[in-house]
Amino acid sequence: MKHVTATPYDPLDTLDTLPRMPLWVTSGRGHPPEDAAFLSGAALATLHTMSAHADAPHTLLRARLALLAAQACVTHAGRPERAADLRDAVHLLRPGDAPGPAGEIYQTWQRAITQPVTLKALHKAFPIQDPHQIARWLDAGRGGSPINHAASVLERVQADAPHTPEVALILADAALAQAMGWARLVPLLGLSLTARDLYKTGDALRLACHRSVVASAKTAVQTGHDLARKAALLRAVTPKLRAKGAAQAVALFLHSDAVAPSLAMTGFMSDRAARRLCDRLVAFAVVRELTGRDTFRLYGV
Amino acid sequence: MADPVLDTELEALPPEIRWREWMRRIEAVLFASASPVPHADLARIIGQNASVDLLIADLAADLEGRAFEVAQGTGGWILRTRPAYAPVIRAAADAQGQHLDLRDFDIAVLAAIAYHQPITRDGLKDIFGKDISRDLIGRLHARELIGTGPRSPRRGAPYTFVTTPAFLVAFDLHSLRDLPDREQMEDAGLGKA
Repeated sequence: MKHVTATPYDPLDTLDTLPRMPLWVTSGRGHPPEDAAFLSGAALATLHTMSAHADAPHTLLRARLALLAAQACVTHAGRPERAADLRDAVHLLRPGDAPGPAGEIYQTWQRAITQPVTLKALHKAFPIQDPHQIARWLDAGRGGSPINHAASVLERVQADAPHTPEVALILADAALAQAMGWARLVPLLGLSLTARDLYKTGDALRLACHRSVVASAKTAVQTGHDLARKAALLRAVTPKLRAKGAAQAVALFLHSDAVAPSLAMTGFMSDRAARRLCDRLVAFAVVRELTGRDTFRLYGV
Repeated sequence: MADPVLDTELEALPPEIRWREWMRRIEAVLFASASPVPHADLARIIGQNASVDLLIADLAADLEGRAFEVAQGTGGWILRTRPAYAPVIRAAADAQGQHLDLRDFDIAVLAAIAYHQPITRDGLKDIFGKDISRDLIGRLHARELIGTGPRSPRRGAPYTFVTTPAFLVAFDLHSLRDLPDREQMEDAGLGKA
C-alpha cells in the first residue's frame, strides 16, 4: 500500500500549468518568409494560452513589457535614457512637474496598457490625436491575419505621422491585440521592431513584424513565468505582514513595475511604515530594490 | 450656477452652415487663447461626430492669404502670425512687451535645456563651465519656455528643467524630434560635441 504524506503547501505548484514557448519556435530561424509567419503564429498561440491563464500575472507582465517598449521607443528617438531613467522619471514624478520627453513616451505606453483596447481608451493614451484619425488608422488592413492587420496599421500611421513612432507602435500593438481578441494591449511589436524596421513597408514590414512577434512573445512568456513565480512568493508571505495597509501595498506591487514607497504608498501608510514594509519584503526576497541607490529608492517584484 | 448647456450638435442648421459655425467656434477659441489648445478642448465645442482635424484643415485653408495661421504644437493648436511678419511686428512699438526678448546667452541655455532635458542647474553648469543665474532661468520660466521636470534622484532632489509646449510653438517645432540633428550639424562643421 502506498504511504501518503502530507506535502507542505507550495505556492509555486500551480505555475506548472503556465504554457511554455516550444523550443522549436524560439530556435527556428524563420528564414523563408513562410517559416517566419508559421513561427509567429505558434508564438502568438502560446502567448494567447498564457493570456487566458488565471495564474498569469497579466497586469504586472504588461507593465514590465510597457517599460521595455518605452525604452525601445526612446532609443529609436536617439535619446540617452534607458529603463532605469524612465522609471525614475515617472515613478519619482511629483504633481505639477513635467515628466520630460522620455518620461512622456513611457507614460503614453503606461496609459495604453492599463485601459481596454477600445477607441476611447486609445484616444486617452494620445490626447492630442483626433479620435476619428485613430479610428481610420486602426481600420487599415482590418480583417486580415493579426500580423498583417498590425503591419498595415503601422505602415499607415508611419506614413501620416512619421515623427511619433510610439504612436505607430502602440496602435500596431493595439490592432494586434484586437485581432487576437485580447481585452488589453500587450506590447510586442513595440518591444523588438528596430528603428530601421519602422521605415519598411509591404512584405518587408510584414516579415519584420513576424520576426519581431516571435522574439517579443518569447520574452513575454519567459517574463510571465518569472513574474508569476515572484508574484506567488509575494502572495505567500502576505499573511506574515502585520503592518496596516500591507494588503494594499502588496496589491500595488502586483500591479506596478516599480513603486516609490514615499510617493505611491503614502495614501494608505506613513512614509516610515512604507519604507519598513519595503525593507521587510526585500528581506523576504520577494521584492527587489531596483535602483541600487540609498535614497529615492524604487521597489518592484 | 453652471453655464447654459452649449449646443454642440447644431441640428437646426443646414450641414454647410453648421460646419462653418464649428470652424468659427474653433477660430474663436484659438484666437482667445494665448497657449496651444488641446484637441479634447476643441472637440468639446463641436458635434460629437465632427472631426477637429478636418475642421482645422478647412480653417487653415480659409486663412490662406491672411497674416496669421493655425499652427500645431505638442499641446494642441494655436493661432499665430505668420513668421514672415516677425520684422513688422518687432518694428511696431506696442508689440515690444510680447516679444520673447531673450539675450544670446539665454538662447544658448535654452538650447542646452532643449537638447539635454531633463537637466539640473548643475548639469547646465557642467556644459557652460559657469553657474547659470537664477535670473536667467527665471526669464525662461516667465516666458513659459521651460518648466520643471522630474526631480533628480540625488541629495536635495534638485529640480530638472524641461521645455514646454510653448517652447515648441515659439520655435516652430512640431516635436522635439524636429530640433536640428546634432550629429548632422557636427558633420557639416557646425559646432562640436
